[in-house]
Amino acid sequence: MEKSFSCLSAACLLVRPGNAFETLAKLDPSPFGIFIKTALWLGILPPIFAYFGTMNYGWRLGTTSPIYLPENILLIISLSYFVALLFGFISAAVVSKWMASTYGARQSLGIHFAMICIVGAPLTAASLIHLYPDIFINILVLIPAVMWSMYLLYRGLPIVLHTTPERGMLMASALIGYFLVAFVSLLGITVSVWIYGIGPSLGI
Amino acid sequence: MSKFASPGTHEVYHDRVVKILVMFSIFWALLGMIAGVYAAAELVWPALNLENPWLSFGRLRTLHTNVVIFGFGVSALMGTAYYSVQRTSHVPLFAPKLAWFTCWAWQIAILLGGISLLAGFNTSKEYAELEWPFDIAITLVWVCFAIVFFGTIATRRIREIYISNWFYGGLIIVIAMLHIVNNLAIPVTLTKSYSLYAGAQDAIVQWWYGHNAVGFLLTGGFLGMMYYFLPKQAERPIWSYRLSIVAFWAFAYSYIWAGPHHLHFNAVPEWVQNLGMLMSLVLLAPSWASMINGIMTVSTAWEKLRTDPALKFIVLALAFYGLATFEGPMMAIKTVNIISHFTDWTVGHVHSGALGWNALITFGTFYYLIPRLVGAPLYSVALANLHFWLALAGTMLYVVAMWGAGVSQGVLWLSLDELGELRYTFTEIMQAMYPYYLLRFIAGLVFLIGAALMAFNLWKTIAGRHTVTVHPPQVTEAYA
Repeated sequence: MEKSFSCLSAACLLVRPGNAFETLAKLDPSPFGIFIKTALWLGILPPIFAYFGTMNYGWRLGTTSPIYLPENILLIISLSYFVALLFGFISAAVVSKWMASTYGARQSLGIHFAMICIVGAPLTAASLIHLYPDIFINILVLIPAVMWSMYLLYRGLPIVLHTTPERGMLMASALIGYFLVAFVSLLGITVSVWIYGIGPSLGI
Repeated sequence: MSKFASPGTHEVYHDRVVKILVMFSIFWALLGMIAGVYAAAELVWPALNLENPWLSFGRLRTLHTNVVIFGFGVSALMGTAYYSVQRTSHVPLFAPKLAWFTCWAWQIAILLGGISLLAGFNTSKEYAELEWPFDIAITLVWVCFAIVFFGTIATRRIREIYISNWFYGGLIIVIAMLHIVNNLAIPVTLTKSYSLYAGAQDAIVQWWYGHNAVGFLLTGGFLGMMYYFLPKQAERPIWSYRLSIVAFWAFAYSYIWAGPHHLHFNAVPEWVQNLGMLMSLVLLAPSWASMINGIMTVSTAWEKLRTDPALKFIVLALAFYGLATFEGPMMAIKTVNIISHFTDWTVGHVHSGALGWNALITFGTFYYLIPRLVGAPLYSVALANLHFWLALAGTMLYVVAMWGAGVSQGVLWLSLDELGELRYTFTEIMQAMYPYYLLRFIAGLVFLIGAALMAFNLWKTIAGRHTVTVHPPQVTEAYA
């Protein structure tokens, strides 16, 4: 933990965030290392869970019969999910670095990569629920995970990025704004690709 | 140059009318939210309508939207417009008795209008449901509002018309135009009228009204609030005044075209739909220009967060404003709209704006305004902080529940089986919505509890105190 940041570090942050933030604050990790060792793995798990969950149980939207997808469509959707998560990760880290000068925070790209990994770790852990893709149950599990992520963001950002708590609060709120926009973009892109046949059979 | 003369010592700002409008706004907020939560509960437990038509969902939902938009929203806008136009013009309100008339007449119109909606009198035009006698009364009050506001601007002692006044002024002019045109109707009895328009024309005029009511009232009006109260709270000038002016004119130009996106895939010309979609996308630029201006203004005033509970509301309001003004144009894109239209996604989008932007910026403004109006500190900062977290939790839960419900509905409405027939019945889909509606009810309740805490907190701050007397300051020659 002292020398590098990895999946194990992200896991430590889930249970002992206070100490882990202090340790991380002293590090200056390389963005490439964080990406290969951590982000890639945090990003690949949700699509894998979603793939196997949907293959076995179908999308369960509360109706009696679930919606099953053909295997090739399912593969395309899962791969797209992976690419979207990686794009979301990198863009969030770059936006965070871009915001850093406004809020007097550290500007090294690696530490922003690490910060976004921290925020994403609870969501990856909760994505285990994708193995049973009942949408409402997924929402119920993901809501506390999102709350934990937000807690880590608000608490950890000023420590890890070396800024005052008040400026950290403002920067974290600005990042929340970005995450909300990124999520709703993902929603929009998802339903748009359904229209072009990559998704459930729709009468359009 | 008498127009720009210095104020006499006898002159005072008319702030009592502001205080009364704010108190009415809070009252309507609570009433409107209670109606909303009750209506949400009826979607989970339909028996709650008690088989009484006055409590039926259709009537309660209409009461909810009218009371929160016109009772809570407009009272807040009227009050904050009267407060800020005096201070940015360095002159007391023009025709203060008329200002009092607008205050009381508006409340009476909302009260009687609300009762008429519960009684079942309804034009069936969304957000313009009130019947013709109320439309005439609203027009009369609105013209008086315009006389007070623009009269104050006309008698100002500061040469510049500050940006918040441009937004408030735009609100007054455009809402007057929309209200009059959309409500043109032939009355047949005291309680029933028929619209002058028919068919597709009626739909186009209605959504020209509906979307621009969202635009110039819920967006423009509240941006006026933001442009005055955020710099005051932050004790900084707005980050870029030039950007605010550019944003205002771009906003005023582009918003008015966007209404047809409510009518995608309907019996209106395709080019009208496409133009509506295009202008909705253009709209993102001026909407976000104001968001960036707000965020950058508050980013330099971070130390104020230590002492000021109100600023947090405004920071969060700007984040939700960014979300809502991005989501709206995105939902106007036809390939998204074909899924999102006629689903709860739209309801979620409206509430990310209404709860996350309109309500939060208004709450933040009230926490700033009331202590200054009565010259006393806020009764409880801890309660305001608790309110902040309840408001955030309520809004997030609401939006997430409606995203889940909306996207599920979008898929289920259109899903085909192996024979190419619709796979699910309407009843089956509505049954699948039960858990989302329960979550939405809880979210609304959490938000309402937060608003009730604010009402208690502000009441304890106001109780037993008189409105502070404030004189207009001297104007230096450079600004006169």
